[in-house]
Amino acid sequence: MPFKLLREVLKVGEATVPYPFVAVDLTPGFRGRPQHDPAQCIACGACAVACPPNALTMTTNLDEGIITWQIFYGRCIYCGRCEEVCPTRAISLSHDFELAVMNKADLYEQADYRLAACTRCGVLFAPAKELTYVLALLEQSGVTGDELAERGALLAMCPTCRRKNDIVKLVALNQEAV
Amino acid sequence: MIELAEAKPKVGQKYVDAMRAQFGGKILEESWQAAEQVTLMVELNSLPDVVEFVYYRLGGWLSTVVGSDERPINGHFAIYYVLSVEGDETETEKAYVVIRALIPPHQPEFPAVASRVPAAVWYEREVRDMFGIQPVGMVDKRRLVLPDDWPPELHPLRKDAMDYRFRPTPTREEENYEFIQVEGEGVVEVPLGPLHMTSDEPGHFRLYMDGEHIVDADYRLFYVHRGMEKLAESRMTYDQITFLTDRICGICGYAHSVAYSTSIERALGIEVPARAQYIRTILLEVERLHSHLLNLGLACHFVGFDTGFMQFFRVREKTMKMAELLTGARKTYGMNLIGGIRKDILKEERTQVLQWIAELRGEVTRLVDILLNTPNIVQRTAGIGRLEPNVARDYSPVGPNLRGSGFHRDIRVIHPYCAYDRVPWTTISKTGCDVLSRTLIRAEEFFVSLDMVAQCLETIPEGPILTEGFAYKPYSFALGYVEAPRGEDIHWSMLGDNQKIYRWKCRASSYNNWPALRYMLRGNTFSDAPLIVASIDPCYSCTERVTVVDIRKKSVKTVAYKELERYCVERKDSPLK
Repeated sequence: MPFKLLREVLKVGEATVPYPFVAVDLTPGFRGRPQHDPAQCIACGACAVACPPNALTMTTNLDEGIITWQIFYGRCIYCGRCEEVCPTRAISLSHDFELAVMNKADLYEQADYRLAACTRCGVLFAPAKELTYVLALLEQSGVTGDELAERGALLAMCPTCRRKNDIVKLVALNQEAV
Repeated sequence: MIELAEAKPKVGQKYVDAMRAQFGGKILEESWQAAEQVTLMVELNSLPDVVEFVYYRLGGWLSTVVGSDERPINGHFAIYYVLSVEGDETETEKAYVVIRALIPPHQPEFPAVASRVPAAVWYEREVRDMFGIQPVGMVDKRRLVLPDDWPPELHPLRKDAMDYRFRPTPTREEENYEFIQVEGEGVVEVPLGPLHMTSDEPGHFRLYMDGEHIVDADYRLFYVHRGMEKLAESRMTYDQITFLTDRICGICGYAHSVAYSTSIERALGIEVPARAQYIRTILLEVERLHSHLLNLGLACHFVGFDTGFMQFFRVREKTMKMAELLTGARKTYGMNLIGGIRKDILKEERTQVLQWIAELRGEVTRLVDILLNTPNIVQRTAGIGRLEPNVARDYSPVGPNLRGSGFHRDIRVIHPYCAYDRVPWTTISKTGCDVLSRTLIRAEEFFVSLDMVAQCLETIPEGPILTEGFAYKPYSFALGYVEAPRGEDIHWSMLGDNQKIYRWKCRASSYNNWPALRYMLRGNTFSDAPLIVASIDPCYSCTERVTVVDIRKKSVKTVAYKELERYCVERKDSPLK
């Protein structure tokens, strides 16, 4: 028996890798730390809704008129749901898995986005980038001219004003019909 | 003429008939959650009779007991006894029978079943802790889950009890858990702990010794109860919980995730695509590969064969790499969604895994051969830590622990899920009832799993991997179950409204294995204790320190865990002397 064992041990040789002095081999689909591209992000918050451990959060600050996207890597479980649900591919999982920091604050990453004000009542209601994105989508899908302008005007209104606008229009239509 | 889709034939109808013949009007309601899952509501006072009848007369095994605060739904507390009813050895019809009883909120008590069916002891203690429902006639009055310093009137899983983030002020400074008292000439009490049953599961053991022999044992666990059920019910949506269930265990997390997902899929009547079923099977078996290699490595370590331990862990790395390749994480985490799976298996991944399987087959065959030919292994493990079949029958242990005592019981066969009824494979059981049998079972199961992964990869059907567009049905409930490396993991989930889960009860395999451990330790020597605890594979055992109390001298002696481990390995210079 000792010979069998010895043969096995000699055949294998050194199995220990000199990590961290050399990088470890990772498979191509390895899920590591999510990376955020603030330029691509429209602050829609889909990632924060999907994130199971609440590592991703969106905070609205009405005083300053901004919405803040934030990730706390200390909570992140590398599941990649954020990458899956992101409509603009602003988040992708990297191969980076080493998270050790000297300071806990280094585990946070933030990006601020400006909130748009309603053209009627002035209430801050949605990230400006998200509205621009929706308008661009409409244009891409073939909406043009007056219709595009009309939809754009609607988009720039907060949900409450849009509802009021709808009611006013409906009443007008009804009166016409009568 | 339009042909109506034929409903699946009910499996287990004859057990329901037998119960009706025996109890008649005491069975108030019958509902089927799936073809082989039935819930019967019974009169509260007939609970012990009914559970005992199903357990001992119909060949039932207690899978889990679920307490639930259903006051907001129907004005009552509810308790569910989940039994896997399997008849005798020749029986082929096997079903999950759930016995439910409603408990009035003005008198929160129920007749304890534990005095008739010992397997229910832990569950009823847990229900008392979490819901404040008293099991009347329960001998053991001690807490199970809640810590000693928890306020007595606060029952965390009651819907009106507390926010999931609330941490009550401790009500006392010291532990006051009453360990059992064993007295007799020369009996020495040995507290063992904090004992990490896994790296995240400390516990406190107390061994009662007569010289070098263990007379009895008692233990206090749940020091790291994480309140996951409360978290899931409070903060998360039902489709996020699959990612939480991964984190229940560092080894069999994927098994929990599948058990949870299938419970929801059954409750909502979702048909998971065949390809996803195969992928789940592959990943579950990959998990078994690395889990069993870990336990085999530890078996080497505890008998003093550390070179073997290193070699098993070296080879195990290949199975971890397999998981990384197939899922993107070294642990098979984050793969399940309700309705299927997130990531397909690509052709080159398949080729790579098949190659690794071939390599592993050779490597592990050689290592197991070396291990079994080590003179120490048989000498140290044969006849040690016996789990007698009658004890096993009473306590419903699961997995290799049970199969080592002659029971041919594997959830993959009894209640096939995923693709286990579509690929050929065999269950392994042994009759030695000892540490050796359990170790041999793991070694053999490793090769069965290897074959199964290869089979699944070769025969996996094409097609979608995720079912989408299903409807969420409030307050529907069902069971999900998986044979994890250590035995049956079972989840009972009831959906709420507003995308939430109303009640989720998860039971990990070790929960059913702990209560019988006391009987496995009795009669063995002190130096075999770590070996026996490791043989039920409670993740892994690492005792931090050991305190020895000599009742006659009233003296206390603390022995470092390293010392006990060294003693287990070398068996020289007893620390008790």
